[in-house]
Amino acid sequence: MKLNKVLVVAMVMLIGVAALGAPIKVALVAPFTGLGSILGDYIKMGAQLALEEINAAGGVNGDKLEMIVYDDAANPSTAANVIRRALFQDNVVAVFGPNMSSSVIGVHQLAQQAKVPMLVGATSPSFRYSVIPNDFLFRLRADDKVKVIQLVKYAVEVLGIEKPGIIYGSTDYCIAALEVAKEEFPKYGIEIVAMEQIKEGDKDATGQLLKLKNAGFDGLIGLTHESEAAVSVNQLRQLQIDVPIIGFSAWGVPAFTDLAPEAAVGVYSVQGFNPVDPDPAVQAFVEAYKARWDGKEPSDPAQAYYDGMYLLADALRNVGTDGTKLAEYLANEARIVGVQGELKCDEHHNFTNVCLISQFDGKDWQIITKLY
Amino acid sequence: MLQDILQNIVSGASIGATYGLVGLGVVFLWLTISRINFANISSAMLGAYLFYSFYTQLNLGFFISFVLSIGVIALYGLGLRVFIYEPIRKRGGGRLEFVVATLMLCTFWLNLIIVVYGALPKPFPPVFGGSNDFISLGGIRIPSLYLNIYLVIAILMVFIYFILNKTLIGKSFRAAAQNREAAALMGIDVKVTTSLSFIMATVVVGIAGILLAPIYFVSLELGGGSIGVKGFASAVLGGLTNPYGTILGGISLGLLENFSTLYISSTYRDIISFSVLVAVLILKPSGIFNWKRKKI
Repeated sequence: MKLNKVLVVAMVMLIGVAALGAPIKVALVAPFTGLGSILGDYIKMGAQLALEEINAAGGVNGDKLEMIVYDDAANPSTAANVIRRALFQDNVVAVFGPNMSSSVIGVHQLAQQAKVPMLVGATSPSFRYSVIPNDFLFRLRADDKVKVIQLVKYAVEVLGIEKPGIIYGSTDYCIAALEVAKEEFPKYGIEIVAMEQIKEGDKDATGQLLKLKNAGFDGLIGLTHESEAAVSVNQLRQLQIDVPIIGFSAWGVPAFTDLAPEAAVGVYSVQGFNPVDPDPAVQAFVEAYKARWDGKEPSDPAQAYYDGMYLLADALRNVGTDGTKLAEYLANEARIVGVQGELKCDEHHNFTNVCLISQFDGKDWQIITKLY
Repeated sequence: MLQDILQNIVSGASIGATYGLVGLGVVFLWLTISRINFANISSAMLGAYLFYSFYTQLNLGFFISFVLSIGVIALYGLGLRVFIYEPIRKRGGGRLEFVVATLMLCTFWLNLIIVVYGALPKPFPPVFGGSNDFISLGGIRIPSLYLNIYLVIAILMVFIYFILNKTLIGKSFRAAAQNREAAALMGIDVKVTTSLSFIMATVVVGIAGILLAPIYFVSLELGGGSIGVKGFASAVLGGLTNPYGTILGGISLGLLENFSTLYISSTYRDIISFSVLVAVLILKPSGIFNWKRKKI
């Protein structure tokens, strides 16, 4: 009898201790296989670095954070499956990702159903809060609309482009950017002289570039993915058409400059992140990231999810693990300083609008201006 | 204006020649064993990635890297016969089964490459000159890279012509393609000719892959992008049997694309060019560039 009592007390204590020390589970949904697999690594390494730092500093009110990683293969239906598992079987308190806009649009309602905040790094303006009013959906970096607005402003005000010619791709990413550019240029009283499409995978842009030239363009606005950016600038140089070039975010990454190292010299781009940014917060992040991940350099999604983990930890500290309270806190009260500067939820449910205008010098992207 | 048109002709013909080069692999296998390999384009991707590994990652130098890549591709071609073609044939499978098997093989290779190398395109080492080098002919600019492609196409044309028409091997190829059993009865070692067919078809496309990598980058587009479809289109324009017609078919397709862009619309380019292709096929299914259908 006595022994039984002791056992019961011991078990109750054990369960209590286990409950006290039970880690707070968060989900990370990103592509690790399929076409977007490179992004998954950046995202995971950024988020995990923040998580390890937070846990090393004592966790959240004494509890450790635990991250469960799911592979969505950059595919909306796979994303829906893994997010269902995360929300309804693994009972996570928050979901990071998915990182593809099409996946976010496909799965955000699950977060609403489960009343669990979903923090994403996808950048399409098509799920801004004004378009999709989901109280549980938040974005961790500047969206594409912000970036194109800044690109157009710089093209007109600084580069003095008066007859812009646009080359654009055929995916959502490119078309959404094109729509913003079509809205923005007329605001400066400027007409786009020609808009030419280069399909993903195309390796010849001669026809498009000649058309832009014949339309009398005095600046190339590039709204394509990385490979097509490389094809376009290579051929522009070959045809010796000498105009300033300013490209969208895919034009400001090594995946583009590695493919066209010579032709890309002098190209301007709007970026979300730049590892040579002298901002102390960015440098501290870059150093910590490199130290943790064998000298690998971080990228835009890495910093976004790194910041996201700190935002969530702040919310958990203040309101606990209830999803609705977390979402309310994130929307109205959360305010921290992260790698991307001050993070605060705006009316679009974006935590930041930070972007940089940079120019490629043959080796690095030199920052010209940083905009918040 | 005239200069624009000429520039457009040069660029269109050049990119079109790359389609034709890929189409040669299709034609070669059809000519010799009457099979369509839907994983034809995978050999180009494998060639490019192998060369990239040997040259850039292992620093083996151009010549060794090239020979090793082509050697591996040749073994792969042999593997195609031993592990896919023969088992299907022995179990009573025909052309359709081979098509389906190779279609799946194409997806297999794409995914294997994603796992091993990742999905990001990689820059190809400038072994054929820089990506911006060009020669200028009266104001028309031809990228230097394309000169290599023209040269290799010319060599391959002569080689294929010679093999098929002037050697005993060529005769045995054609005999085996027409009637496998009869050819075997006549003392032709059908196994050897079939192996050679596979090896040559994959090697041609593997070489094409290495040549095209500076243009297409070391990327998945070389193994699953539109170039595979356009390679097939070129081969069909050549009636699947005419190597020269295939190159011409590719060039016409490239020209059609570039002129649709210049004079109609870049957005509708593929719609226009593929409509024309379908129309041409309906009007002349044996291939418009197939002037000698029976015999090369």
